[in-house]
Amino acid sequence: MKAYRRYFLNKLGWFLVTLVCAFILNFILPRLMPGDPVAAIVSRLAQGMSDATGVQAIYEQYTELFGTNKPMVEQFFIYMRNVVRGDFGYSISQYPRTVADTLKSSIIWTLGLQFPAIIVGWVIGNTLGALAAYLKGGFDKVLMPVSIFVSNFPQFGMAIILLVIFGAGLEWFPTSGGYGFDMIPNFSWDFIKSVIIHYQLPFWSVVLIAIGGQAIGMRSMAIYELNMDYVKFSRFMGIKDRKIIGYVFRNAMLPQITGLALSVGTMVGGALVSEIVFSYPGLGFTLLNGVMGQDYPLISASALIITVMVLLANFVIEILYGVIDPRVKAAQAD
Amino acid sequence: MKRKSLWWLLSSLIILSVLLSACGGTAPAADEPAEPADAASLPREETLYFNGQQWGPVVGWNPYSSNNNNAMAISQGDNARVTMFETPYLYNMLDGNMYPLLADGDFEWNAARTEITFKIKEAAKWSDGTPVTAEDVAYTWATHVKYNTPTGAGNMAYIEDIAAVDAQTVVIKAKLDDAGKTVNPLAVQAYVSSNYVIQKAWTQALEERVSEDATAFLADTAEDVVYSGPYHKFFTDDTKVVLVRDDNYWGKDASMWGQLPAPKYLAHTIFKDNAAGSVALAQGEVDVSQQFNSNIQLLWESYGLPISTYLPEPPYGIGASLPTAFYNLESHGLDQIAVRKAIAIAVDYPTIIANAMTNQSATFDQVPRSLMNPTDGEQALYNHDAVADLQWAGNDIEGAKKLLDDAGIVDTDGDGWREFEGEKLSYVATCPNGWSDWQAAIEVVAAAGKEIGIDITTNYPEWSVYQTVVTKSDAPLPEGYDIFMMWSAGAGPTMPWGRIRNLISSEWVGMASNWNGNWGQYSNPRVDELIQMIPGETDPAKLKEMYTELVEIYLTDIPSFTLMYRPQSFHTVNETVWTNFPHQGDGTNPPVPPLDCTDGWGIACLYNISLVSQ
Repeated sequence: MKAYRRYFLNKLGWFLVTLVCAFILNFILPRLMPGDPVAAIVSRLAQGMSDATGVQAIYEQYTELFGTNKPMVEQFFIYMRNVVRGDFGYSISQYPRTVADTLKSSIIWTLGLQFPAIIVGWVIGNTLGALAAYLKGGFDKVLMPVSIFVSNFPQFGMAIILLVIFGAGLEWFPTSGGYGFDMIPNFSWDFIKSVIIHYQLPFWSVVLIAIGGQAIGMRSMAIYELNMDYVKFSRFMGIKDRKIIGYVFRNAMLPQITGLALSVGTMVGGALVSEIVFSYPGLGFTLLNGVMGQDYPLISASALIITVMVLLANFVIEILYGVIDPRVKAAQAD
Repeated sequence: MKRKSLWWLLSSLIILSVLLSACGGTAPAADEPAEPADAASLPREETLYFNGQQWGPVVGWNPYSSNNNNAMAISQGDNARVTMFETPYLYNMLDGNMYPLLADGDFEWNAARTEITFKIKEAAKWSDGTPVTAEDVAYTWATHVKYNTPTGAGNMAYIEDIAAVDAQTVVIKAKLDDAGKTVNPLAVQAYVSSNYVIQKAWTQALEERVSEDATAFLADTAEDVVYSGPYHKFFTDDTKVVLVRDDNYWGKDASMWGQLPAPKYLAHTIFKDNAAGSVALAQGEVDVSQQFNSNIQLLWESYGLPISTYLPEPPYGIGASLPTAFYNLESHGLDQIAVRKAIAIAVDYPTIIANAMTNQSATFDQVPRSLMNPTDGEQALYNHDAVADLQWAGNDIEGAKKLLDDAGIVDTDGDGWREFEGEKLSYVATCPNGWSDWQAAIEVVAAAGKEIGIDITTNYPEWSVYQTVVTKSDAPLPEGYDIFMMWSAGAGPTMPWGRIRNLISSEWVGMASNWNGNWGQYSNPRVDELIQMIPGETDPAKLKEMYTELVEIYLTDIPSFTLMYRPQSFHTVNETVWTNFPHQGDGTNPPVPPLDCTDGWGIACLYNISLVSQ
């Protein structure tokens, strides 16, 4: 128990150090970009203004509001104080909307699309990979090339192929939007059905690619494990195949779980490509616009969420590893 | 046990995902009409769908602010959008006239041309049922001035005051110069068709809410705003914005339209890019398209879809603005007219128009270059014969080479590039990254340079950086901005004067944030003088003379050169559900302009369209 506590505290310590570094970088990096985001707002406000001092006054008003006229260190402390209070401030690209409001309206779509897609892709991919390793023969010979082929598709390629075949060609699925272009969100069966239909193409454009990659990884891990001495030994001992396979997959699964944790962490970045191709609402596009518009508050807030999610997912996995695989804990605690 | 539950989870997930997809596969396609009268859906036959206006979610409904990103409801300017808020007059870009909306009858200048008087219609009402009065017009102006809004700041130099004489009568007092003459009569009369009338009572409520703080005043999202137009907010989220008709709209009075606009809903799906919008247009999910649809003619020629543009043949629309390449006049060699002219005449404009615009622009053979847009009204404003020798249609490589040779700008060191004063002519041509039609055009400009021995490379910074650099006119442009693209004004009540002023007036030079024009910082006292004189001139012959002189100077000095013509709005319609949209020669009188049924006199379209099924 003592060893485990040491392991836990060690991990927690590193977690906090990384978080602080990431927090500082999240703040600094966007602000190092060339250009001036406040100029974009002023440009919208100053259209048609021919009076130079008027434009200058508006500009100063907004640099004051966003604090971009203050030294970077001072800006950092103000930012930190606000973040601790849960206040991410105004979005520059969508001013006068707040960052919280901007993220709130798009994050649900991203989580709704990405989380199931990652899980389903992971589960199907690993199952297929394990089956390929176990069944070998024809199944493996077909699955492997197909997996390699599909997983190497760029995501925009997959999205556009699905769009052209199933959206524009066969017209089985709509080509854009999160729900029917003629609907208003409500709790009705029609609306839910519409959401599900609109969900299909973006969903499968993420899943299909994930399946291939996961299957390849799982297959090699499983083949490696199947050839381990303990498997051969168990077979000689006459232990039932099902029992052996249980052990094999548990062991082969470990690296795959790490991969899952990482992808769950990064999903907040959004399935940007699917969002753009299918005009699907979500955080990826909001964030892209934020980057284009040098929306410091929005970039920092999104990056912070991503950082925290990745760190948390890793932290949880590391802690779980300590429980699942005693070798890890033993090695780390030394 | 553990393994069992894992397999259970696994199989149920697979089953669920298969179910989800199967459910999608058998479900009806999305373009089937929704059940009518369902509060949760927009009946197809009561809704007019748009694209190309709204990009990104709506952030506010405040008519005083230009920061709402609310294209369906708020857009003031030359052809103001009058779906939710209304202007006293509606400008018609086709005949150049103003037609009364909130106003009753035409406006009148006094004999000295220092004041404009007009009346407000008795029937005009706010959405809360109270009448629209002259006091509302006056208070709107006073508020613009008080909070230094773009409208206030932009017109303060021309308008002294707007006052209410009685409940119905408005007087606009123009700013006068030292000689007692109106500074700019054009700008004064443009005010009445470019700016909304906003309710005084609501404005006062807003002022109280924000304690008269200017920043908070403009940042208020104004969800409670009172309006006079036929539509108002119904629904918005990250994927769409929907306006719904106000069936009590005052305009159904016989003194205005005599009826309500045909569509109950105006809906705009928020697409992420032009491609998605084009697909939706082809699928009949969009009725009115205000976006650049590449190779638009294929939709009817190859696919036989009931889609059309204002003109049946290229250029498909009426060109209104002049996307222009500006020279940085401080770059080495670009201070030489010969170099500027050589590049400009060598450019292959037909390729730009065919590739970048897929022929949705008139060519320079059809409409020779000047400072005017291709509309008949503007074309008639200058003497074509007088400047014919100065106009060029492009692709004149030999002429360009000769021009440079004659000016002594030749390749002296044999490296294939010309030198001026011993230094190689080497430039960067630029426009914002991702603006694909502009990028295609800039590539053609660079290619022209290579043909004539001038090394032009291209570079595409992000818009956020580009705009900061280009609009900073109080300092010379930095390296990398030798030849760069920006827009020009389109059609409007002050045009072509306003466009010319934006393109070549030196009054913008020295501005820290210059969103008007002349970004290459050209300066010519005679040009400034002419620009000063035109607004006050009423004699058509003299006006023509002055405009001709401006064109002559522009085509001689070449501080910038137009690359293509672009319509005021890309007005493409899909007549699957609605029909009777504005088309050339549609018999409407006055003619309804192709402005997407929302802008200026173009709003008349909403009263003319009807259902295909009826």
